Amino acid sequence: MNAYTAVTRASYLAYLRDRTSVIFTFAFPLVFLIVFGMLFQGQSVDGGLSYINYIAPGVLSWGIGNAALFGVAFTLMHWRRDDLLRLIWRTPTPLPTVLGARYLVALGTGLVQAVLFTAVALGAFGLHLSGSWPLALPVLVFGITAFAALGLVVGTLANTPEAVAAIANCVMVPMAFLSGAFYPIDLMPGWLQGLSRALPLRYFDEGVTDAVGGRGGVALPFLDCAALTGFTLLFALIATRTFRWSNRN
Amino acid sequence: MSTSDSRPDAAVALNEVRKRYGTVQALDGVSLTVERGEFFGILGPNGAGKTTLVEIVEGLRTPDSGTVSVLGESPWPRNTPLLRRLGIQTQSSAFFTRLTAREHLETVAALYRLERPAATRALDLVDLGEQAGQRVDQLSGGQRQRLALATALIHDPELIFLDEPTAALDPAARRSLWEVLRTLKGDGRTIVYTTHHLDEAEALCDRVAIVARGTVLAVDSPRHLIKSLAAPTRLRVPAYRLGVEDVRGLPGVESAAVEGGELVISTHTANQVLLALGELVDLEEITTRTATLEDAYLELTATERRS
Ligand SMILES: Nc1ncnc2c1ncn2[C@@H]1O[C@H](COP(=O)(O)OP(=O)(O)O)[C@@H](O)[C@H]1O
Ligand SMILES: [Mg+2]
Repeated sequence: MNAYTAVTRASYLAYLRDRTSVIFTFAFPLVFLIVFGMLFQGQSVDGGLSYINYIAPGVLSWGIGNAALFGVAFTLMHWRRDDLLRLIWRTPTPLPTVLGARYLVALGTGLVQAVLFTAVALGAFGLHLSGSWPLALPVLVFGITAFAALGLVVGTLANTPEAVAAIANCVMVPMAFLSGAFYPIDLMPGWLQGLSRALPLRYFDEGVTDAVGGRGGVALPFLDCAALTGFTLLFALIATRTFRWSNRN
Repeated sequence: MSTSDSRPDAAVALNEVRKRYGTVQALDGVSLTVERGEFFGILGPNGAGKTTLVEIVEGLRTPDSGTVSVLGESPWPRNTPLLRRLGIQTQSSAFFTRLTAREHLETVAALYRLERPAATRALDLVDLGEQAGQRVDQLSGGQRQRLALATALIHDPELIFLDEPTAALDPAARRSLWEVLRTLKGDGRTIVYTTHHLDEAEALCDRVAIVARGTVLAVDSPRHLIKSLAAPTRLRVPAYRLGVEDVRGLPGVESAAVEGGELVISTHTANQVLLALGELVDLEEITTRTATLEDAYLELTATERRS
């Protein structure tokens, strides 16, 4: 086994053996789907989309971003707290290899979340997939990457599980509303609409919405991917600058 | 110019190492040499600077001043070939979450670019073969400590650092870890470890350094330390058999006092006192406690603790 495979395996096993967390990762977005489904039943929002085609991409991108952020942040915080980072530091394996393996787990989880969620939205809520839906795949990959990078920042800041949860919730819950994922952008005051452009979830949600709804042609999702890449680079830069090998510094 | 330069054959050579964290002077001019093949103990109270010392030697921290040489090389900037020859067990045990003992070791082996059999070898080395399939979070304290040791040993290092490996163990688990450590020493490896169990240092170490407040108070073999500090032997007799007045005048008796129902006599010439006591009581009623490393340690750190 090479180091990359080994850490990927270790991360997958650690993830799958935490049953509660696995169940919540997949159930959480579905719960929101059902709640919002009841709230918006029969309405049209955000430029004439049926409620399900508005809310499903929003909840999906938020749920996936949330899981990627939490997963990576918890792992990094634990690895530092339990001195695994120092163990890695002593081996010839470079840190990016180890983090890359953990990223692969986040990516896999996110894609499975997407498949499951879409199946439920299609089957139970009448989600309509336009012909351009495959464009949602690159958006998913870039979105997961951006939120995993944000997870690195949170995992670097926080030294305890409580701190990870507090910081991550503080970031993700307001973002759900301010980026238009849970609340239609059109209904927001103009300055808030502007602010939403500074949030990664805005582009993640927009990219998925446009791909699934067949709006804006091929170009739009790629613009969103470009914006998400910008956030990834920004978060990676912050994480590199603030990174700590040990809590004893 | 320094000892470290002139001793490339030593396992570890520190010269005048200083390290300060803000206002805390964690290491205040530490000089030490550990020979290859030696079992070397670093003893000291909490906060003495033991962990800082180990971290400097592995290259995780740089000292503010002084020189450090490990197996003839400088440990920083991060020296991967050197790290390959060091086995380090940190104070907190580093395990991959929710894996079994074997899975954890296989992952560590892969990080070192070793094949899977390395994991089996490490498990056997610390006698953890039967627990291989158990999850790390379900292991007992002693088993976790042995797994941590296996983690530090997986790449077959020649120089091993253990930071308080027995701190949280019950006596039986401690003894079984001693056996593992003795085997390692028997293989010709150099072991440096920190502890505050003095009986353990006395039983295992070729030499010990006693550290307090970032300075080395003494370095010697446990036997010599006890001797040179001339800690007295204590003889105990049930208090109902003899009183302080009965023994005070006897030749060789330095002091006598009643403690917990026993008369405790301190002496540097135990044989002489025993002979005299034999006239007064049955020798079987006397218990002898010779000076231990603990006495030497308390003696050495007494001024530290008073100040
Ligand atoms: N990262 C740090 N920042 C500030 N002070 C520290 C840090 N690490 C250790 N110290 C202080 O340095 C001293 C030595 O600590 P340490 O090396 O951990 O000692 P020991 O391992 O002997 O208990 C202590 O007073 C401790 O509080
Ligand atoms: Mg310590």
